[in-house]
Amino acid sequence: MSAARASAARAASAARAGPVTPGPAANDVVTTGFFRARGRRMSKPAIVGLMLPFFSLLVFAFLYPLMSLIAISLTEPQPGLANYARVFENPVYATVLLRTLRIALLVSLLSLILAFPVAALMARSKGPKLALITACILLPFWSSVLVRTAAWAVLLQRNGLVNGLLTGLGVTDAPVKLLYTQGAVVVAMTHVLMPFMVLPIYGALRNIPTDLARAAAICGAGPARAFREVTLPLALPGVTGGFILVFLSALGYFITPSLLGSPQEMMIATLISQQIRESLDWPFAAALVGVLTLFVTGITLAFGRLFRFDRLMGARA
Amino acid sequence: MLAIGAIAGGPSVTAATTGAAISVRGLTRRFGAVVAVDDVSLEIAAGEFIALLGPSGSGKSTVLMSLAGFDLPDAGRILIGGEDCTHLPPHRRNIGMVFQNYTLFPHLSVADNVAFPLKMRGIGRAERRARAEAALEVVRLSGFGARMPRQLSGGQQQRVALARAIVYRPRVLLMDEPLSALDKNLREEMQIEIKRLHSELGITIVFVTHDQGEALTMADRVAILRAGRVQQIAPARTLYERPANLFAAGFIGDMNRIPTTWDGRAAHVAGRALALEAEAAVSAVPPGPAILAVRPERIGVAAPDRPDALPATVTDVVYGGAGTLVIATLDDGAQVRARAPSAALPPLAPGDRVGLVVPPGAALLYPAEAP
Repeated sequence: MSAARASAARAASAARAGPVTPGPAANDVVTTGFFRARGRRMSKPAIVGLMLPFFSLLVFAFLYPLMSLIAISLTEPQPGLANYARVFENPVYATVLLRTLRIALLVSLLSLILAFPVAALMARSKGPKLALITACILLPFWSSVLVRTAAWAVLLQRNGLVNGLLTGLGVTDAPVKLLYTQGAVVVAMTHVLMPFMVLPIYGALRNIPTDLARAAAICGAGPARAFREVTLPLALPGVTGGFILVFLSALGYFITPSLLGSPQEMMIATLISQQIRESLDWPFAAALVGVLTLFVTGITLAFGRLFRFDRLMGARA
Repeated sequence: MLAIGAIAGGPSVTAATTGAAISVRGLTRRFGAVVAVDDVSLEIAAGEFIALLGPSGSGKSTVLMSLAGFDLPDAGRILIGGEDCTHLPPHRRNIGMVFQNYTLFPHLSVADNVAFPLKMRGIGRAERRARAEAALEVVRLSGFGARMPRQLSGGQQQRVALARAIVYRPRVLLMDEPLSALDKNLREEMQIEIKRLHSELGITIVFVTHDQGEALTMADRVAILRAGRVQQIAPARTLYERPANLFAAGFIGDMNRIPTTWDGRAAHVAGRALALEAEAAVSAVPPGPAILAVRPERIGVAAPDRPDALPATVTDVVYGGAGTLVIATLDDGAQVRARAPSAALPPLAPGDRVGLVVPPGAALLYPAEAP
């Protein structure tokens, strides 16, 4: 039933494709198989069955608590937008919000710069070499974020390794303040979040057939030009994917900024935690959550519109 | 013709002037212990259509990759139009290439794909568009410029790739098994298309294939490669009628290999002596064991008592309409295939005795050892 509908839909879309020629013949090789949509359809019960566990978790552990918080922010102590007004009235909170955006952007850009070459190397490697690089990328996941953050604290402290190196090499006369700075927060967060940038870019690069680079070269494109004209546009979905992943993770980051930053580096997640645990101001904390959620949604939608993945892939009919 | 004029820069440019001669001298390429290309030399004339034919692993693709500049040879030189470009990177060789899997840029429209080489050469947008459209017209895809590659069929994609390869008027066009991903009908259509382009543009074409039929019908000359060495390079007819060695003989068409003893004047097969003409030996054959090579269609099927025929027993008869294949076993055990017009054959059944007639001039003699 649904298969018949699907083939009817395909026939209809083929008919829409244009009057100049009929669609690709059935016995013809239609594409290189490179971004081809999967033709097989699943039955509805199968789809529901496969999605149910994840969806239940999403609803009970994410959507329900989030909605409850938003409800609190709008109803307590009195119904209205008073809590939200407070967020924007007090410049301290606006500053924290802007700082959070700035740090998240810095972390994303730094991750991108560091991740792209690694992903490119991975895409050209295979066998043990690829396994080794992948292991290096995933190695940090074997320890908790807390441990990795603590390691940065050890490295960056006044008598730590980095200061030892700097003074030893004569770069600085006395130990420099490295810990509890925005730099420390950015570097440590980049370290933790970089794998989320590497993997999507690697995936996109690996899907680019090697012959495309050859085709670009024989067409007269030097290596830099071929990268700009062919590799980069085709890797863009991976780059944007990784960027969104890292940026959004960084927006809500908690442990690293609170351990490696001073109050001057406070990010919004720390502020929310403070409101809940120290000020016991649930309604205001909930309003902050609401603002953060609004930002995240807005940024995701903006990215989606900006890069138009569908167009990039030539899905435009 | 109008479109061709636009490609070639105006009607005053005659087809014969566009191709460039290619000279490959002593090309050698090793991958570890494997010698993929072993001292290959080829002289390809300007405007010639040459096919590199061989089984996989014969080195034909490596030769092509060296011509394109994607693979640097360990030894030897490559000259295109008299210019040494052995170590020139691919993007500066100014040659066109069509790959096996279309390799269109999936993020660019058909027109932008075709215009890509022009963009790389700094040609302005308006001229790019006009020339891309003209090239699309040459491959009969006018009006497809706005589409994305994935909206085209395989045959159409390969024609776009062809347009992209000729749009900047290269003097040499390399083709790496360009038709192997297409089905049979489309393949034949594209063969004709490529032949037409070759005669219209006068471009030098080097075409790699493992399909002997394709090589024979399309190319002016065919180079047969095996284990990195050129076995023979000759026009189709020579290749078929006087293969240089047993490998070439077996690779092109069907060939009987009959073990024989050569005494310098006659070949002894199953107790009979066949007198051979002097030119039967393609290369020098020392007296002793040798191989007699005869095309199945040159062998006549006659009565078993004919004195000049080789007596044999029919093992199988394969009726194929116009022609019939008779498989017979000589009295010394060698199997021989004879192809004859069905109408000229008496009714035959397995077990029947026949005489196989090898007319003078039909047999070639090769040394017994593998070439």
